[in-house]
Amino acid sequence: MKKQKEKVIPSYYIPDVGSHVTTIDGKDYLIANDAMFTFYRRTKGEFSPFFLALRDEKRLLGCKCSKCGLVRVPPFLTHCPDCNFAPTELIEVDQVGIMNSTPPITYFATSLFQHMAPYGRGRVIFKGADTAMSINLYTTTGILTPGIIKKGTEVKLVFRDERIGEMRDVFSIPTAELTREQINKKGLQESEIDWETPVEPPLTKASDQDVKVYKEALKEIKSIIHEMNRNERARKDIVGWKRNIQVKTRGGQFAILINDGDIKVEEKKRPSPDFKIVCDDPRTLLDGLAYRGAITDSVINKKLWISKNMEFSTIFKIDRMARSVARSKKA
Amino acid sequence: MSKRVGIVGAGVTPFKAIWREKTYYELAQMATREAVKDANIDIKDVEAAFYGIYNDIFERTAIPEHAIHGLLGMQNKFGIRITTGGATGAYTMSAAHAYLAAGRFKTALVLGVEKATDCFDFLSMSATPEVIKAIGWSGDSFFEQGIGWSASDSYAEVVLGYMDEHPGDLKPEITAQISSQLSQQVKGNKYAQRQFDQVTPEEVMNSRLVVYPFKELEICVYTEGAAALILAEEETAKTISKNNGTPIVWITGVGESNEHSFAGKNQKIMSRIMSDYYGSHRAYEMAGIKDPTKSIDIVELHDAFVHQLEITMAEFGLVPLGRADSLIEDGLMLSGGKYLVNPCGGLIYCGHAVGASNIMSAWSARNELIKRKLKTALVHGTGSTIAQYTACLIFEHE
Repeated sequence: MKKQKEKVIPSYYIPDVGSHVTTIDGKDYLIANDAMFTFYRRTKGEFSPFFLALRDEKRLLGCKCSKCGLVRVPPFLTHCPDCNFAPTELIEVDQVGIMNSTPPITYFATSLFQHMAPYGRGRVIFKGADTAMSINLYTTTGILTPGIIKKGTEVKLVFRDERIGEMRDVFSIPTAELTREQINKKGLQESEIDWETPVEPPLTKASDQDVKVYKEALKEIKSIIHEMNRNERARKDIVGWKRNIQVKTRGGQFAILINDGDIKVEEKKRPSPDFKIVCDDPRTLLDGLAYRGAITDSVINKKLWISKNMEFSTIFKIDRMARSVARSKKA
Repeated sequence: MSKRVGIVGAGVTPFKAIWREKTYYELAQMATREAVKDANIDIKDVEAAFYGIYNDIFERTAIPEHAIHGLLGMQNKFGIRITTGGATGAYTMSAAHAYLAAGRFKTALVLGVEKATDCFDFLSMSATPEVIKAIGWSGDSFFEQGIGWSASDSYAEVVLGYMDEHPGDLKPEITAQISSQLSQQVKGNKYAQRQFDQVTPEEVMNSRLVVYPFKELEICVYTEGAAALILAEEETAKTISKNNGTPIVWITGVGESNEHSFAGKNQKIMSRIMSDYYGSHRAYEMAGIKDPTKSIDIVELHDAFVHQLEITMAEFGLVPLGRADSLIEDGLMLSGGKYLVNPCGGLIYCGHAVGASNIMSAWSARNELIKRKLKTALVHGTGSTIAQYTACLIFEHE
C-alpha cells in the first residue's frame, strides 16, 4: 500500500547551493539560494482511526455527538463544543454525497501542486453527515471546467489505488459519470473508472482560405513574438525557462521556442517538442499573444488544446508576456 | 473607564514587488522612522511596540520580531507580535488600542512588515508559486494542506457560496469595473506597487483565470513593505498633536470575529462572511454608529479579491446582501459617490504586504480623513481560511 522510494521532498524541488549578485542603481546585492526545512514524525493522534479506515478499509468515518447527534465528517474533534464538550463516537457514513457549495477550480497552483492543476477542491456532505468534508474533485471527461460540479451536485467518494493515510487518498467525481454499480460500490477505486485519455484533437483538411488565414496569422504572431523578445519586462517572464512548443493549426504548423529569456518562432516541425498546442484556428493563439484574451482561458474553454496539463505553467508565462508588452506600451 | 486612543503619526515604505535592496529589518526601521518623524516625537517617547508580521516562512525565521525590537530603539520595553493571517495588521491595531485604552501605556508603535517574495520556486523560476505555497502552510494541516488548499481557493469557496445564493450578483462586468476603478484611484498613491498600472474593464475581463472564479486582475498582488502608526492615549495625543500640528484621528470603535474553519450544519455558512458582519457591527456599536450608511465616509477595505470586496461591503451593511453590484450600478463607490472605497488603490493595486497591509490602509484612511476633511472611516482586515478572521476599526477625525 505504501509508496516506496518516494522522498518527503522530491529532489527536483531542491536547488543547488549557490548565490548571485544583482546590481541596482550601481550597487551590488548578494542573493543566496536558501531553504527552511524541518522533518517530522508527526502523529495523526485522535484522527488515526479516520485515516487508517481510509487507507486500510476504504471506509469513511465521522463522529456523532452523544447529546445533539450532530455528525461531523471528517471527525475533527472528540467532544462536541456545542454541547459543553459532550463526548462523540465514531460512526461510518455513506460514500455518496452532495456538494455543499460550488467548488473553486485551481488553474494556477502553488509550487507543490502545479503537477495536479487544474484541480477542484470543494466540500461534500456525505449521506449520514451534517458537516462538509474538504476533498479534491475531478471529472472523467477531461479538464475540469466551471459548471460541471456545482452546489447540490451528487458526487461519489473514490479511493486512490495507492493510499498512505492522507486526505489525498480519496477524491470525488460526479455520480452522473458513473454506472449504478460503481455508485453503489463501497470502496470504489480510481482504477475501476474509465478516464478519458487525452487525445490530440484531429484537424480538418485545410482549404485555400484556411492556409491564407494561417499565413496572415503567422505573420502577426511572428511580429508579436519578435516584440516580446525585445521587451525587457516580457523577457524577464521567461528567465530560466526552456520549452520547445509545436503549434498545430488547420492551415499549418510552426514552433515557439523559449530559451531562458529568449522567445522566437520557427517555421518547421520540431522532432521532439516539450509539448504540443493544437488549435483549429491560429487566430485563437494570436488573440492571446496580442493580449486580446488569455490563452489560459482558451485552454479552459477547449478552443486550444495542450498535450500536457502541467504545461499550464508555460501557458501562464506566455499570457504574462502578453501582459508585460501591453503594460510597457502604456508606460 | 477606558481611555480614548488616537493616531498621531504614520508612515509607510514604498510597496514593491520585491525589495532586493533591503531586508525586513531595514523596511521595519524605514516605516518606523517615517512614523516617528510624522508624529514629531523621539522613539524614546514610545512605550510599547506591537508587531504585525504574518508568516514566519516569509521572513525565514521564527519570532521574526525579536531582531527588529532593538534596532527600532525599543529595547527593554514591551513588545508583542500579532499574527492572524491576512487580518494581522488590523488585529495588531486592535491589540495596541486595547492596551492603550486600558491605561497600560501612553504611547505605542504599531508596525507591520512583510518580506514575501524572497520565496522562490526553482522549478518555474518565479516567485509567485512559492509565495502562495508559503501561505499554503496556513491551511488545515490534517485535512486540507495535502489536497491543494490555497488562500485563493479558500476565498473562492466563499465567493462561490455567495454566488450560489445570489446568482445575479457579482457580475463579471461589475467586478471588472471595480478593479479598473481601483487602478485609477491608485494613481494618487506614490507608495503603491502598481501606481502606474491602469487597466480597463475589458482588460480585466480578458485577463486569465487563476482560480475560478477569480481572474488575474481581480486578485491582490503580493508585495514587500512596511507600515507604521504611532498611537497615543488622549492627553498624550493632544500634546503630540499640538506639537506637530496634525489633527488627531481617533479610534472610536474596534470589533473582531473569527468564524469556524469547517463548513456545514452549525459551522461556517459558506454564503456569508459572518466575521465581517460581526467585526464591523461590533465596531459600529462601540463607536455609537446606529446607521453605517449615514455615518461612514471612507472605507479602507482589505480587498484580497474584488468579489470579496463586494461581499464585505454587504456584510458591513453598506449595500444589501445580494445587491452588492449596486456599488457600481447605483454609483455608490464611483467617483463622487456615497462611499470612498480604497482611495489608496487597495491591496489589489497598492499591494498586499500582509502584516503591513491593513496598517497601510489605516495610514491611507487617516490621510484621507484629514485631507478631505471627512469625519468617519472604516478600516478592515480579513484573513485565514474561508475568510475566517476579521478585525475592523472606526476612525473619526476630530
